[in-house]
Amino acid sequence: MARTWQGRPVLAGDVEGEAAVSRRGFNTYASFFSSIHVPSGSAVCSDSGNTDLHEIDLAGKILCVPKTTGSTSSGAVWLRLVTLGNAPAAVLFSEHIDPLAAGGLVVSDIWSGRRIVTVDRLGAEFLEAVRSGDHVHVRSDGTVLVAD
Amino acid sequence: MAFAASTLELTSDERAMLEGGRGPVLERIMRTVVGYAEALSAERLVEITGNGHFVITCALPGIAPSMTMLDELVEAGLTTSRPFTLDPLPPLDFDNWFLRPDQMRKLEGMYEAQAVHMERMSSLGLSAPDACTCTPYLPQVGNVPGRGDILAWSESACVAFANSVLGARSNRNGAIMDLLCNIVGRVPLTGLLTDEGRKASRHIEVATGSLPSPQLLGAAIGRHVAADVPLITGLDRWLAPVGERSTLDYLHEMGAAAAASGAVGLYHVHGITPEALDEGEGVLLDEHDTYRVDDQILHGIEAGFPVPWGDVGAAPQKCFVGCPHLSLEQLGWWAEAILVRLDEHDLGRVRVPTTLAAAPGVLRAFEESTASAGRLREAGVRVSPACAMQLFDDDLSAGERIITNSSKLRTYTHARYFRDEEIVRIVVEGRV
Repeated sequence: MARTWQGRPVLAGDVEGEAAVSRRGFNTYASFFSSIHVPSGSAVCSDSGNTDLHEIDLAGKILCVPKTTGSTSSGAVWLRLVTLGNAPAAVLFSEHIDPLAAGGLVVSDIWSGRRIVTVDRLGAEFLEAVRSGDHVHVRSDGTVLVAD
Repeated sequence: MAFAASTLELTSDERAMLEGGRGPVLERIMRTVVGYAEALSAERLVEITGNGHFVITCALPGIAPSMTMLDELVEAGLTTSRPFTLDPLPPLDFDNWFLRPDQMRKLEGMYEAQAVHMERMSSLGLSAPDACTCTPYLPQVGNVPGRGDILAWSESACVAFANSVLGARSNRNGAIMDLLCNIVGRVPLTGLLTDEGRKASRHIEVATGSLPSPQLLGAAIGRHVAADVPLITGLDRWLAPVGERSTLDYLHEMGAAAAASGAVGLYHVHGITPEALDEGEGVLLDEHDTYRVDDQILHGIEAGFPVPWGDVGAAPQKCFVGCPHLSLEQLGWWAEAILVRLDEHDLGRVRVPTTLAAAPGVLRAFEESTASAGRLREAGVRVSPACAMQLFDDDLSAGERIITNSSKLRTYTHARYFRDEEIVRIVVEGRV
């Protein structure tokens, strides 16, 4: 059995992977500060203020957050991660996507041709239910299935 | 992208750009801006009416567009619809940052494309070769948006200041999207660009015994409200309405800390900022919560900042002040405070090499207007127009014990935070 949530596909796609969950605003720049310089295959969260994700490798993960926070430099971070090959596979927002994340993810999508699947408005209940390590399947219509 | 539920309406000119009528590069840019608008559920784009300010100074992919992307824009003959300023330059003025030879070599490698990057920025519309600072609205720089101007700015501290203190309107646009919106001269009408998006949904009641540190108050506000718009009451006991330099400097520091700790793009301050002055209590939505910030809360925040050194009592090796950049008046305060403290201890030089960062125009005015500049140099304190934060990229300063008065720098790096007065004591005495 899987629990199902319905969101809005911002950058639609079908992807599966392991959840990495932040229940507080995700500070994109602080989290990826150490991951944008050389191709390492990993993106270990460097935000010491994020007790949910600090020191967890976010490359290839299904990142589940309420919204993003922090420096506007993060607009270029997503494109860089995709170029280096260490981006999360998807970003799932419980709230409406914020301008900083929207700009960065859309730029990354159109100027790299490689997609970080993005779904927003999944609701607070989604973020309360999903746990880091859960297996998550994101469908292109914005449906998100979390395996029990 | 094409959302099924998209309600975005485009003008004929915008549609022409989107459909490739003005070239493939502009078509791609317009597709990006339209995708941005659809993601934000905007109903239309609006014309940008003020000059730009962008975060993309450094020739470092991940911080700025790649050179391939910039070349594509320049070769297509594109410019921004209005001139723009940029964030501070990377710290290639090595002497001012007390760098080791290996750090200099690494920086040279990281920024080998910096000169070409700045050429591309000039081609795209940079207002002057040295218009690079995170305080573009200082009189020595002159990028001062008017009240109600529509902007597509980035740099979180600048967006917060332009919105809150100057009454201009900008969302927190990210790097690259800032530039692209300004090339088409349009930005999605949403969020902080709208009247309803500028109303406060959170109330911050400042109940401290004296004017709180702007760095700590900003951190408290950012952590509590994240991206929401707060109305801050209680500060008018100590601060004059906007217009006084000391108020502007205070709000600049507070806003930068709030933006770095959360995602604050706009705040209102009762009795001080323009929309709070005009609208009074009307700026606060009926449905709001109240967070009372007292001295105990701020002390708790300060005590909770991590000490990123193995030995908490170890002597610091460097001190960086000026994140965000200092105003001329702040620079003067730091110079006097350090020199007076040195005199009190009958010392000629600081024990902790210290760098004060400010806009190029501010540094020129400082050098021209005061005798302190020469004394400061002799005392081992340097001034720089660059950005301290870039010294932490790619582990450049790994293992170094660096102190700062900046909550923002502390948030993103391993620099250790101390209050202003403590910083002055530490750099003179050489111990924490």
